Amino acid sequence: MSKYILKRVLLIIPTFIGISLITYMMIRLAPGDYTTLRAGLQGELKAGAIGKEIYEQERKLYGLDRPIIVGYFDWFKKLVVLDFGVSRKDGRPVSGRIAEALPITLALNIISMIIMYIISIPMGIVSALKKDTAFDRITSLALFILYSLPSFWIGLLLLLFLSGGEFLNLFPLGGIVSDWAENLPFFGRVLNVAWHLVLPVATLTYGSFAFLSRYTRANMLEVINQQYITTARAKGLTEKRVIFVHAFKNSLVPLVTLMATLLPGLLGGSVIVESIFSVPGMGMLAFEAILARDIPVIMAITSISAALTLMGILLADILYSIVDPRIRLEAKV
Amino acid sequence: MSGRQGYWQSVWREFKKNRLARAGLWVVLFLFLIAFMAPLIANNRPYIYVTDEKVFFPLFFEYPEFKDIDFRSERVPGFKLFPPVPYSYSEYDLDSIVSPPSLRHLMGTDEQGRDLAARMIYGARVSILVGFIAVFMYVLIGIIIGALAGYYGGWIDMLISRFIEIVICFPTFFLILTILALVGPSLTSVMVVIGLTGWTGIARIVRGEFFKIREMEFVQASRALGARDSHIIIRHVLPNALAPVLVSATFGIASTILIESSLSFLGFGVQPPTPSWGDILSQSRDFMDFAWWLTLIPGFAIFITITAYNLVGEGFQDAINPRSFRGNT
Repeated sequence: MSKYILKRVLLIIPTFIGISLITYMMIRLAPGDYTTLRAGLQGELKAGAIGKEIYEQERKLYGLDRPIIVGYFDWFKKLVVLDFGVSRKDGRPVSGRIAEALPITLALNIISMIIMYIISIPMGIVSALKKDTAFDRITSLALFILYSLPSFWIGLLLLLFLSGGEFLNLFPLGGIVSDWAENLPFFGRVLNVAWHLVLPVATLTYGSFAFLSRYTRANMLEVINQQYITTARAKGLTEKRVIFVHAFKNSLVPLVTLMATLLPGLLGGSVIVESIFSVPGMGMLAFEAILARDIPVIMAITSISAALTLMGILLADILYSIVDPRIRLEAKV
Repeated sequence: MSGRQGYWQSVWREFKKNRLARAGLWVVLFLFLIAFMAPLIANNRPYIYVTDEKVFFPLFFEYPEFKDIDFRSERVPGFKLFPPVPYSYSEYDLDSIVSPPSLRHLMGTDEQGRDLAARMIYGARVSILVGFIAVFMYVLIGIIIGALAGYYGGWIDMLISRFIEIVICFPTFFLILTILALVGPSLTSVMVVIGLTGWTGIARIVRGEFFKIREMEFVQASRALGARDSHIIIRHVLPNALAPVLVSATFGIASTILIESSLSFLGFGVQPPTPSWGDILSQSRDFMDFAWWLTLIPGFAIFITITAYNLVGEGFQDAINPRSFRGNT
């Protein structure tokens, strides 16, 4: 057991080095070296000594004056101790800006994930038990439609109809906490934040119900037809016990790994949702950095989100090996 | 060969039984027709123009004498037969800015007085173009990489699998945005970047199928007969691994169209004046509270398109995978 986990944990090291290598090369080898992009934009590059000086400074700042391998190692050494340099937009350390943004996005995504699981798993189970009934057909079609609705469109419509605008004014226009919330007691502040998060979380969540509930349904159907379920029924257990204790537990297994596959998509989805609802999380930070060609921030976000996904996959693998011993036995051979 | 034909025929038979999938296929064909015929549906020049007993076809041929003429003007005499949408996608009509749908402008106009119907029709071209070319690219890359790993196994497979694992960790949408910001957004770069980043799913499917198929007797027989690897891969293994790849590609087109419209929505997709549904939607943000047509029409078009491709994908999946439609009761 511990041997399998150790092996899995050690394997993330080469993967992480690969991630950092791709991140660095992508930026470094991108056509149109980005320092000229910035210096050139202001028409300073060819304007003589000053432009030249700025250009040289910029190149030095990003290690472009050194060979690519040396530049990579310098960047990697700093990456390991979480030193991402300073943002070129406001000169603040990138790590500080990320420390502010990351908890917001993580909270947003964890809440969405919990809601996804709470809603889709029961729906999937009921659909499986009532296979091919009207309930099964209608829910699967409804979830399918939700799945196909583009989130940026729904986000806009929610904003239009539910917050301000000409219609209902139920939710705030954006942000995660009101200015006036500072004076509220702790519980009041929590409520205020929750009130701000309703629309972003809804937009982030609705599309995933279909996938998860159909997945649960398929697993459940597979499990129900296993022999041990027939045995359980033959023993005279109540149907409730058969479904919830024997079947449900085993249909949960693949849902664990699913969490890992959902992670990178969620972070990507945050870019759109956060920019629509002005949530100051990683997605918004990322989008602003991209707009401003803020290279240190872009590189930091790319490597951090990839590393987080890597952790998610690792966690799922370990959980999987705990719930399904066959996995680690196979790995041993 | 006839066996393979029989297989695809039976897949088609199963597909046809599925009502929703059939509907999806009709929508897809309809969109194709619109995209293909866009210049014939939305154009500010008439099909036929008759004046002074002479017949012209201004939409099909260039006539120097009509170079800067607005055929719709009442001052141009004669018989004119216009396309259903008598506007081009980029012409301004400053007299009717942000006007609601009417007989003159079937879907209304945007903030520059451009006809929305014409822009929607040309936008269909962009979404189909990006959907198909980007997916074709990544299916090709995925097949090559997955086939190498699955057919040869061993250290080649180990290297490729590690590489796939690394690429999967990157948040795709953010990666695409970043690369587009660095190389500059355009129709071509959107297609290429999606094509270069999207292949991992296909590669994994192909790898898995190849693992299964390469051990089968007909492959071993072919190997025993002395066939080259390339021959075995292309003639024997790949055709048998193709069905799940095509299903995944169909879903891929849906998600690529979604990615393209999201990119255009954020300003990193197709650049103006080329119309894209995502871009139209993004422009509508400033007039949302009264110009409902600018928000609802492009959003609905994206939704219908994605739904159609997903339905076709579902139907296709059920058709090649008998277990899921027969159920296992």
